[in-house]
Amino acid sequence: MIRDITIGQYYPVASPIHRLDARVKLAITFIYIVTLFFVDSFIGYFFVMLSLGAVIASSKVPLRFMLRGIKSIMVIIVFTMIINLFTTKGETLLLEIGFLRITWEGVAVALKMSIRLVFLIVGSSVLTLTTTPIHLTDGIESILKPFSKIGVPSHEIAMMMTIALRFIPTLLDETDKIMKAQQARGADFDTGTLKEKAQSLIPILVPLFISAFRRAEELATAMEARCYHGGENRTRMHVVSIGRRDFVAFAVTAVYVCIIFLLRHAAEIVPFWI
Amino acid sequence: MKMVRAQQLSYEYIKTVEKDGVTTEQKLQALKNVNISVEKGEFVAVLGHNGSGKSTFAKHINALLCPTGGTLWVKEMDTKNEELVWDIRQSAGMVFQNPDNQLVATVVEEDIAFGPENLGIESSEIRKRVDDALEQVRMTEFATFTPSKLSGGQKQRIAIAGVLAMKPDCIVLDEPTAMLDPIGRREVMETVHRLNREEGITIILITHYMDEAVRADRVYVIDDGDVVLNGTPKEVFSNVEALKGYGLDVPQVTEVAYLLRREGIPIPADILTVEEMVGALCQLRSTI
Amino acid sequence: MSITINHLTHIYNPGTAFEKKALDDVNLQIETGEFIGLIGHTGSGKSTLIQHLNGLILPTQGEILLDGENIHKDKMRLKEVRRRVGLAFQYPEYQLFEMTVYRDVAFGPTNMKLPADQIHENVISALQTVGLGEEVYEQSPFELSGGQKRRAAIAGVLAMNPEILILDEPTAGLDPKGRDEILDAIQNLHEKRKITVILVSHSMEDVARLAERIIVMHRGKVAMTGTPKEIFPRVEELEQMGLAAPQISYVFHQLQERGYDLPADVFTTEEAKEVLLQFLKQVKK
Repeated sequence: MIRDITIGQYYPVASPIHRLDARVKLAITFIYIVTLFFVDSFIGYFFVMLSLGAVIASSKVPLRFMLRGIKSIMVIIVFTMIINLFTTKGETLLLEIGFLRITWEGVAVALKMSIRLVFLIVGSSVLTLTTTPIHLTDGIESILKPFSKIGVPSHEIAMMMTIALRFIPTLLDETDKIMKAQQARGADFDTGTLKEKAQSLIPILVPLFISAFRRAEELATAMEARCYHGGENRTRMHVVSIGRRDFVAFAVTAVYVCIIFLLRHAAEIVPFWI
Repeated sequence: MKMVRAQQLSYEYIKTVEKDGVTTEQKLQALKNVNISVEKGEFVAVLGHNGSGKSTFAKHINALLCPTGGTLWVKEMDTKNEELVWDIRQSAGMVFQNPDNQLVATVVEEDIAFGPENLGIESSEIRKRVDDALEQVRMTEFATFTPSKLSGGQKQRIAIAGVLAMKPDCIVLDEPTAMLDPIGRREVMETVHRLNREEGITIILITHYMDEAVRADRVYVIDDGDVVLNGTPKEVFSNVEALKGYGLDVPQVTEVAYLLRREGIPIPADILTVEEMVGALCQLRSTI
Repeated sequence: MSITINHLTHIYNPGTAFEKKALDDVNLQIETGEFIGLIGHTGSGKSTLIQHLNGLILPTQGEILLDGENIHKDKMRLKEVRRRVGLAFQYPEYQLFEMTVYRDVAFGPTNMKLPADQIHENVISALQTVGLGEEVYEQSPFELSGGQKRRAAIAGVLAMNPEILILDEPTAGLDPKGRDEILDAIQNLHEKRKITVILVSHSMEDVARLAERIIVMHRGKVAMTGTPKEIFPRVEELEQMGLAAPQISYVFHQLQERGYDLPADVFTTEEAKEVLLQFLKQVKK
């Protein structure tokens, strides 16, 4: 399951979306997420879907990679749906089983909430699938840089993210190896009471932590040997620069935001379920 | 000018031992008055078993450890001088044993750029150095790969490229092949020898594999923190009994030559390769 | 205990872009008490093969029989299979986790729910076999030296009293002294307990020293099998598979090529000395 999480899984193809500056993509994704909460009509969601579809199509990343992220949060989506379905107070009664009342309004809210979640995940997947982790962390570092004057360690945060991303596959492999080694010694991770199951994790977690600390120490030495001394006077191989392409992206985003707000007012004059 | 020169180099550290609830401090000597000198362009192997002090010596060259006695100079720069530490690390790069624990970035070329970025080199120059370094270790087609998809030998070559991009005069390799399979070992050793031969880079190879030391210009054997043997591979490896005493091996052919000499056969003691062995045997057969 | 492997095929990630056939119709028979050297370069399928033998990986096709019985016949008995077929992975010291060496070694037999006195007996005997003295029993395993850690971890597998012991690269990364200690312990164990041993190794010298029979894996198939005397003279074939024979084999190979009448199946230094003494004396007469 941990492998299904799309975050940090870059999909390498050449597309206009891939070529956008990471900071621009971060900013647009942020705007997109915020505006998502201003959408409250189905016609609005239809428009978001069309726009998102257009972006995905031009990113050249297969749709199933975009949708993979949904699988890991399916539980949350279903849970949100159920809660909203039963707790929304409405007038047009659809179904009544005992004390449970389902109304048209409830169905509408439940649907809208889950659609919003799906769009949120797919939208951020566009960012992570079209941006290499290194550009992403560089982008974050660059955006946070102005805040370093008030004590935000922007370089350190970015370096930590890079190292975490670098070591995730290594530690996953390591976990797999340790599990197999303990299974070969008769460890059982599947059966037993909750307490026994929790205890059975100790033979995995202890070696994993020890190994992670050993790796951290060796990595720190190796970084020092390569003259690492923090972010001061450090240059980068890739110099980020905002080009015409990025201004076009911002213009498109501006149009998008305007339409979202127009549609919001359109919803005031048409019935709620549209 | 000597590339690396150690004079009476000593390193002491304190180990806390807990026994029966009582903590005592023990003073241990990892290096005792070590004298080693390496010329520019040389290929020097430092042999010794685990815990002999050879890795401690390696870390001194990179100023990762500071001597507690004596002095070590890298290109006449005293490693005790804190102001020179970055110049020393740039001049004498270091490659470590575990290929996984020395790569920082998620993309090969970004990792190679890490060193020059730390040195504050201009970005167009970094790009050029990264491309050159990839070419030097023959890994150009892997530039955009993620390190976790590479074999152990390939990862070590990337680590070497990462050092090369800092334009060092000398590379110190601390047991670079200990965790590799035979193919990976061959890849790494060929790369290191080529860099020494073609680029004139001084190589200091720390190892316990005698077959890797055979091709060096000079060999130092360290045991219990002290240099116990040094000379050309032929001079060092003909001391079969002494080497075994230090917990080291000799090549199989060297051992056979040693066994034959004990039986009174006048075969040279300094045989190191299959070809030398075959040649010596054929000659003996025809002269007797 | 004997192992029979019939038509074993294993495919990783079937039906995806990452599909990889790791084992391709492997057939093998390993008899009770044999000492097998399993060689092959990285990716040849040897790691996948050994993980099948104690049921850690399920075969895509084919079956594994222990004393004629399929190990996957009864799911409940898989634990029993893992006790009888002990598997020590590469760098086994990375599995150590307990507060003391003694307790770590006892982890396996405790999981097997053996009676307490039996556990104690197994642990002590395993630690003695690998040559770890009483002074380390109550020490933390993380305070041991590299070679000692490795031996403690192997003792953890031995303490289950396996009838078959599989060791994946037990000497990787050790210096000659550490390597000799491990190999001596393995040989000692094989002689004393008469158990079947499968030694996976890249080092031809190690295999040449200990194994009675060698199995060479290449591209998921068994490429060769035979005694060291049968395998090592096939220098060229081994080279093509990215492997090498012991250095001595090359000497005899080259002497033969120069037209000397010498046996091709010499690969240890002691034997080489004897044969070469004869070779050089022949002329004297």
